[in-house]
Amino acid sequence: MEFLALTLAGIVSTGAPLVLATLGETLTERAGIINLSLDGSILLAAMAAVAVGLLSGNPWLGLGASGLVGILTAALVAVLGPVLGRSQVAVGFILTLLCRDLAYFLGHPFARKLGPELPVWSLPGISALPFLGVVFGRHSPVVYLSLVLIPLLWWWVFLTGPGLELRAIGEKPQAAFARGIRVHYLRIVYTLVGGALVGLAGGAFSLAVKPGWGRPQGAEGAGWIALALVIFGGWHPVRAALGAYLFAALQVLGITLQEHFPGLPAPLFQVSPFPVMILTLLVVNMGRTGWVQDLAYRYPGLRRWVNRWQATAPAALGRDFQPEKEG
Amino acid sequence: MVSWTRPLARIVTVLLLSFLVTTAVLVLVDAPPLRTLGILLRGGFGSPAKIGQTFAVWVPLLLASSALLLTFAAGLWNIGIEGQIILGAVFATGFLRPFPEGGGVFLVAGALAAGMVGGALWAVTAGALKTWGNVHEIFGGLGLNFVGLGLTLWLIFGPWRRPGVASMSGTEPLHPSLWLREMAGLSLSPVSLIAGVLAFGAMVLLLRRSRWGLTLRAVGQNPEAALLFGLRPNRRILEAMAVCGALAGLAGALQVVGVYHRLLPAISSSYGYTALLVTMLAAFRPQLIPPICLFFALLNVGSIQLPLQLKLDSSLSGVIQGVLVLAVFLVQGLEERFLFPGRGR
Amino acid sequence: MLIEFQNIHKYYGAVQANAGIDLTLEPGRIYGLLGENGAGKSTLMRILAGHSRPTQGRLLLNGKAADGLTPAGALGLGVGMLAQDPLDFPALKVWENFSLGKRRRRRETLTRLRDLADRFQFRLPPEEKVAELTVGERQQLELLRLLDLGVKVLILDEPTTGISVTQKEALFGTMRRLATEPDRTIVFVSHKLSEVEELCREVIVLRRGRLVARVPQPLRAQDLIALMFGAEPDAVTGTEAGPQPQEQPLLNLDRLHLLGEKFALGDLSLEIRPGEILGLAGLEGNGQELLLRGLAGLTRVVGGRLVLDGSELQGRPYLAFRRAGIHFVPAARLEAGLFPELSLADHVHLALPRNGKGTAALSPEEAIRRFHIQAEPSTPARTLSGGNQQRLLLSLIPPRLRLLLLEHPTRGLDLGATRQVWQHLVERCRQGTAILFSSADLDEIFAYSHRLLVFYNRRLVADLPAHSTSVEAVGRLMAGQERTV
Repeated sequence: MEFLALTLAGIVSTGAPLVLATLGETLTERAGIINLSLDGSILLAAMAAVAVGLLSGNPWLGLGASGLVGILTAALVAVLGPVLGRSQVAVGFILTLLCRDLAYFLGHPFARKLGPELPVWSLPGISALPFLGVVFGRHSPVVYLSLVLIPLLWWWVFLTGPGLELRAIGEKPQAAFARGIRVHYLRIVYTLVGGALVGLAGGAFSLAVKPGWGRPQGAEGAGWIALALVIFGGWHPVRAALGAYLFAALQVLGITLQEHFPGLPAPLFQVSPFPVMILTLLVVNMGRTGWVQDLAYRYPGLRRWVNRWQATAPAALGRDFQPEKEG
Repeated sequence: MVSWTRPLARIVTVLLLSFLVTTAVLVLVDAPPLRTLGILLRGGFGSPAKIGQTFAVWVPLLLASSALLLTFAAGLWNIGIEGQIILGAVFATGFLRPFPEGGGVFLVAGALAAGMVGGALWAVTAGALKTWGNVHEIFGGLGLNFVGLGLTLWLIFGPWRRPGVASMSGTEPLHPSLWLREMAGLSLSPVSLIAGVLAFGAMVLLLRRSRWGLTLRAVGQNPEAALLFGLRPNRRILEAMAVCGALAGLAGALQVVGVYHRLLPAISSSYGYTALLVTMLAAFRPQLIPPICLFFALLNVGSIQLPLQLKLDSSLSGVIQGVLVLAVFLVQGLEERFLFPGRGR
Repeated sequence: MLIEFQNIHKYYGAVQANAGIDLTLEPGRIYGLLGENGAGKSTLMRILAGHSRPTQGRLLLNGKAADGLTPAGALGLGVGMLAQDPLDFPALKVWENFSLGKRRRRRETLTRLRDLADRFQFRLPPEEKVAELTVGERQQLELLRLLDLGVKVLILDEPTTGISVTQKEALFGTMRRLATEPDRTIVFVSHKLSEVEELCREVIVLRRGRLVARVPQPLRAQDLIALMFGAEPDAVTGTEAGPQPQEQPLLNLDRLHLLGEKFALGDLSLEIRPGEILGLAGLEGNGQELLLRGLAGLTRVVGGRLVLDGSELQGRPYLAFRRAGIHFVPAARLEAGLFPELSLADHVHLALPRNGKGTAALSPEEAIRRFHIQAEPSTPARTLSGGNQQRLLLSLIPPRLRLLLLEHPTRGLDLGATRQVWQHLVERCRQGTAILFSSADLDEIFAYSHRLLVFYNRRLVADLPAHSTSVEAVGRLMAGQERTV
């Protein structure tokens, strides 16, 4: 029991950065923009957090820096993409590489230094509980942030007026525009907000979950997983977060298995998230291919299963919106 | 008369912007900007040995960028090219492992061919995930990149490890008879050079002069129309990936047989990702690819000097490369949206 | 609100959609707006609703100029349009669609929605996704939303497509009641003459971009049809068509059911003979495109058989159809049929392989010459004008075909070019190719078809030899009127 509680606590904590990044990108993509730079910007933000934290002696300033880096990267995507009309995918990919290299370059002086860490908070009352106390009671503030954001974003996207407008913009920007919603402005705002969360994910890595900076840091690949999780989660905050915890569980499980089966090669565990990522994408995308649709047409049982798992992107995702050109 | 001033203005703006940003980055780490850039450039061209090294890096970049011409023409984002290079290296190493005593030129040729098979296989897997599973090739390719990396690590630390010591320096070195012979003190093999140039020429010819290349371009521009014309877009996508993967695999095999003479964890050295930047910077104009590859190779080789001479990380080359491409995008975007709106693509 | 159109011209590129329209609409009435495809009705209404701005001319609302209007701006002034394809959000729920654009509490929204729906006897479950609703229900929802926003001018574009008779009655009752309220104007755009006759006080007829007539009640169907389609003596039928088709059927459709993206076309049984030309008549979106695509192998067949030259093609892939000798030319030339950056010569090489399989292929220069394409072999497709794009597409059709399917083959072409195209098509039919084509121009259909297929309300309603009918009769069928023998 104790073991289970500790494992769950590990999952909650390990999954926190992934949850933050996934939630942030879900917001951005719900508005119709793809920010492909996640993998790089998480690393750059992580580096910034360590750098600022070390230079100022204050890990909170470091966390703030990481958020800022996320916003700045997202701003580049927003400017070059929607505003200047370049391909969002191309810009995002270039930024992934650039931010990663920038992170390694600028972070060089801070490598393998004893980094600042965010304090661990003990929640009064909860930490005293027998099972839940272990799972949720003692965590870094970023972990609590990730936990709080899941219901918060779910409420925002699905239960509020502004959230409805967000969904409208991602679905059919022309119709939203026709109803007086400020499409351009909101798309940029959500890209920046999403970027802030992505940056905080980087800070969560280097100030809490995998403290410190190095080359490699350990957060490599997380951005790509987050992007895939947004798809796997069907652009729904809760489902995406659950996917994040699934991957965190894989990681935690991997560490445990490694201890028990030292014969199994270490790379297997490091790499295991990625075949799983491909598998999850297959499951949610396959239903739209011709041959599966033909099969589904013939076997109604298959059709029900396919429909349940299909993830449909916001219809206007990644596409340019130019209302002036109409009419 | 006016026709050349605009491109010139563009180039100047891009270079100026890139220089400014790079300088800002260098200032942030207290590095002297001009001196750093000087070391960088001299590091690539400062001596015959360095020139040879630069060309040794030029070859895989050229191979990969040329290959990407095909996939970009078909409308694909072949991010998986990094993994295709890795798999080429793995296959080549695997082919030669049964011959620890070495062999003749046919073995080497076989290894190169094996590398091409490995790369093509990896590429077609990503392609199949797209055509039959509707998984975007970015994610399929990326996932396979990491899997390829994991595979390499497992082989190096597992079945293929050096007896006695398993280390990051890779597998047992190949017998010298299996090494590609280098030109006098230049650490560059003529075989690699010829392979690179031939591949580039072949890709350009294929794309511009062959019916298959024309079909690829059609598929990339309008998949719906391609379907109507009976061009079988899905089949073309797989073919393009296969050829691209084969060239990438060749690059990986050359890294094993010609440069490192064994399999290393970082055998692909991010050449695949860099090649993507090259092709984007060249805006898919083939004639620009060899010079841009050379410049990028220069930066890569030069940046090796940075940790030694200035205690800076060698990823500065990647920073400059990324900044250049972004600057091009920025200038293009400004031109289109603000200076001359209404012009076509 | 008093609406005045003053000398409205609207150009889309080189095409003139509205030509000098002067029109005043007074409040307190229901106006009918009639006209064929391409007559300019939607264009004019889009200007009124702020979706589009006139190239020349002015729109005045209550005497004040309404320049640079946006859809939201028009709504603010009290003008709302219920388009045939409503600008709604299919992935969102009914009540969400209703409330988007107006910040309000959820409970209030639900109450308001229920009250309005009850008033008009619309059944709109608030929690259902709009994508699950029928087109009629989506229109109802949009109508309620506009009424909730208090529009003074309500434009309804083909609102009765796909709704039941009871719902239609309710809708008309609403319209009549609304029109009696002060300062309300309703514009009812439709091609269904019976409904227009029933509902509208005055009918405005547009043809080829111009205002042709304003006809007050009492309305006579014959007069309206004549105004819409142009009064033509019944004589011109099939004089330009090719020789009579041969006897043995080439293509057999046996209770064929096609499933398209938006609706299904069912139970088609036809025979087509070699060298026969069939014109598909009917207003846009009633099934002509679905039939053409289905015969080309691009649409899913969910029932029945499709037999060409004795072999069954239903369920087989597109390439099988192509190999069997069927070719399809889409209406969206650049978006669906051409490669924007490739040159004319490239297209020719892709379409007609030079490795002769016993067929003589065209060279790019020949294609340019024979089809009068104003371009060089090196010109990229995207710089070609619409007409030249069409000519290019036609030049790419393989030499020997069994069945040729064309969507709007002469759209955007001038008379001379149209003649050239038809010369070529008639020659093909002489060689034994069967041709099916859809067109918005009844004159063209009558001039070149042996047989007509008429579509209305998403069904095939008539299959007639051309010589046995007239423009007037077909016009009536297209408008939903029963044919009086």
